[in-house]
Amino acid sequence: MDFEAELTRRQVIGAGVAVLVAQALPLARAAPAQAAGASYTDALLQAYADTMIPGRKVAATESGAPVDPRAILGSDPRPGAVECDALAIYHDPRIGFDALAPAFLADLALNARGDFLSQDLAGRTATCIRGLDFGNPLRLLWEAAAAVPFVAIAATRTGTTMMGYPGAAPHGYRDFSYRRKLARERTRHGSLS
Amino acid sequence: MAERADVVIAGSGFGGAIAAYRLAEAYVAAGADPHAIVVLERGRRFGHTDFRQSMDVANLSKVYDLVQGQGMQVVTANAVGGGSNLYLAASLRAPTETFERRDRRPDDGPERRMWPAALSRRTLNRYYARAERGLRVRRPTWKQVSKSGGLWAATLNEAGHTCDRVPVAIDAERCVNAKWCHTGCIFGAKNSLITNYLAAAEALGVQVRTLHEVQSVRQSSARPYRYIATVDQLDAETKQSSGSVELECKALVLATGAMGDAPILMRSQLGLPALSSHVGKHLGSNGDHVAAIEFDPQRVHDILGLGRYHAFHKGMPITTMSYDWWAGRRAHDYDGTRFTLQEIFLSTLTNLLYDDGRSPGGDPSWWGVQKKDAIAHWASRIELLAMVEDTNDGTFVAPSPTGGGAVQPNGGPIAFGTFDYTMSEQSLRVREAADAAMARIAATKGLGRFMKLTETRGVYCAHPLGGCRMADSAQLGVVDDSGQVFGYEGLHCFGSSIIPTSLGVNPSLTIAAVAERCADALVARGPSLGLPAPPAGFRPGTPEEIVGPRVIP
Repeated sequence: MDFEAELTRRQVIGAGVAVLVAQALPLARAAPAQAAGASYTDALLQAYADTMIPGRKVAATESGAPVDPRAILGSDPRPGAVECDALAIYHDPRIGFDALAPAFLADLALNARGDFLSQDLAGRTATCIRGLDFGNPLRLLWEAAAAVPFVAIAATRTGTTMMGYPGAAPHGYRDFSYRRKLARERTRHGSLS
Repeated sequence: MAERADVVIAGSGFGGAIAAYRLAEAYVAAGADPHAIVVLERGRRFGHTDFRQSMDVANLSKVYDLVQGQGMQVVTANAVGGGSNLYLAASLRAPTETFERRDRRPDDGPERRMWPAALSRRTLNRYYARAERGLRVRRPTWKQVSKSGGLWAATLNEAGHTCDRVPVAIDAERCVNAKWCHTGCIFGAKNSLITNYLAAAEALGVQVRTLHEVQSVRQSSARPYRYIATVDQLDAETKQSSGSVELECKALVLATGAMGDAPILMRSQLGLPALSSHVGKHLGSNGDHVAAIEFDPQRVHDILGLGRYHAFHKGMPITTMSYDWWAGRRAHDYDGTRFTLQEIFLSTLTNLLYDDGRSPGGDPSWWGVQKKDAIAHWASRIELLAMVEDTNDGTFVAPSPTGGGAVQPNGGPIAFGTFDYTMSEQSLRVREAADAAMARIAATKGLGRFMKLTETRGVYCAHPLGGCRMADSAQLGVVDDSGQVFGYEGLHCFGSSIIPTSLGVNPSLTIAAVAERCADALVARGPSLGLPAPPAGFRPGTPEEIVGPRVIP
């Protein structure tokens, strides 16, 4: 199977993360699962989300859920994906990532060559570069797991505020335009003849 | 026994809504009851106040359909009014050169003009004008151009290029410049089909049945009835079939879009044995290719005199574009190297697509600390849509067992397409040229960083076209220039599935204009199909605007 042709990040536009999840299901079934406690696996998922979109250290997410103290490295001073409730999206049944998590976490452990949670930024980054390499036959799992932090940023108030985006605009904006001509135009009515 | 109707229209997007309205006004003029016209829509009905300004998982599941095929992902709508609920309302006439195109995939038949002989920009102009009236298309003034669109214009100007304002189907009086077209306009400002063609057709008496999905078609021998459509009734939550009905009709119009029409016909081939072998082929993406530029607000202030830019989220979602890589290139008429560059707002989720644009380059480019910094500067960004002269590279491998061209596994927005999309050399080359042009413009006087689409294979597409392309013969396409399926009188495809090439502009207005032309032909052909004949001198009018309840800030 040509994984590069099979998968592009464009697949996760919109709710496409669920596409990735669904496509990766056969891989998940084929891969060995790692037995681990829920809190440990949640910490690993949070650590992975923090590697994708790093953030400041916090004890709780936007919704008040606890953050494992080992998950966030604090490598960026602004809110990151963990604070934006990435873990809740990993567990959202409409996304369905729970079905992939055991296989993904097993491959994460394999590529970490040790305990991912104990690694520093350089170590976690190197692990994820290996996991997301096109040569990794389980890359699809890593892509699906990577899409979730991006959804978290777009779907939460904390995330959009960090982006400088107010989100919903029920009253719109008055200062939306420079209100002057800014270029020469080629057409008279907007369309080419 | 199957229920009977005069005309069954599958789909309520541009093709279906325009067919419904034009037939309805002809019925009224003839003194007949438009209740005999039935529109079948697989999705639900949304009013303006049902839409939400939210990108959370629940809302995305409700308003989008995401079809993942091999090599292309297609975003489609799934509701009464089709794609017009979610589109960004750019309404442009395709350039003359589009209709004269001869570039094509190497395996796509003899050298020829790719559009039917009867269709050109000149012959379509009157239908473009009619569609513009129906959709209330207006060109924004410079005072109505968004800051992101204005910044694109000023940057192009600084680089020595032109930039034009884009006509839009948006009511500037109702629009509050919130940039939330993409999940449905709550203000009723976007002139989607539920405010004009479709609403006016229903007001005249046309039936619109929601959660009804045409699966297949077969011929009827009970003249004047010619076709029987098998229709699944869908459960609103699970999107799975909860039963099946049959409708017998004198004329059948397939207008389920490029994702739907070809699979329906492929599924019907046993009962329609004379169908062209081109059914399901030549699926296109309209040449969609996206990228972004992150501007340096200080340089925008110092060099362009526009203040410090942090306003990507304000204004209408599309207001400006440049034709400088399309127009004035007579020596390149048929070599497939043209493209246009349009400023656009896709959504906040497109963060995922782009390179961080920062040094050092290399891995990681789309995640990690540098990417986080790029995300934190999101408001200083613009997004660009290149619409390139690619070839229609997709083929439906097989029809899905039910539905359109996709398998819908559950009640979510995800569907798996049964098509393959492998880009030709031309399709890849022209995208690379567009990237080079955008990168060069971004670098003008150090104004911004170019953020390239980080992967180059496969296509992300919001404008699927083709699969039942129009042509001058069944040896080259599926329908004739009036949208009638070769070999089957009274069986038609209207809408995006019959558009034979990428257009260089957003396709909705061309789809609408072609549908207007096809509707004229169907009305004229009506008496031979057993449909009412409008009186001599009948002229198509302009659909009434019916906005309905909306949010008023």
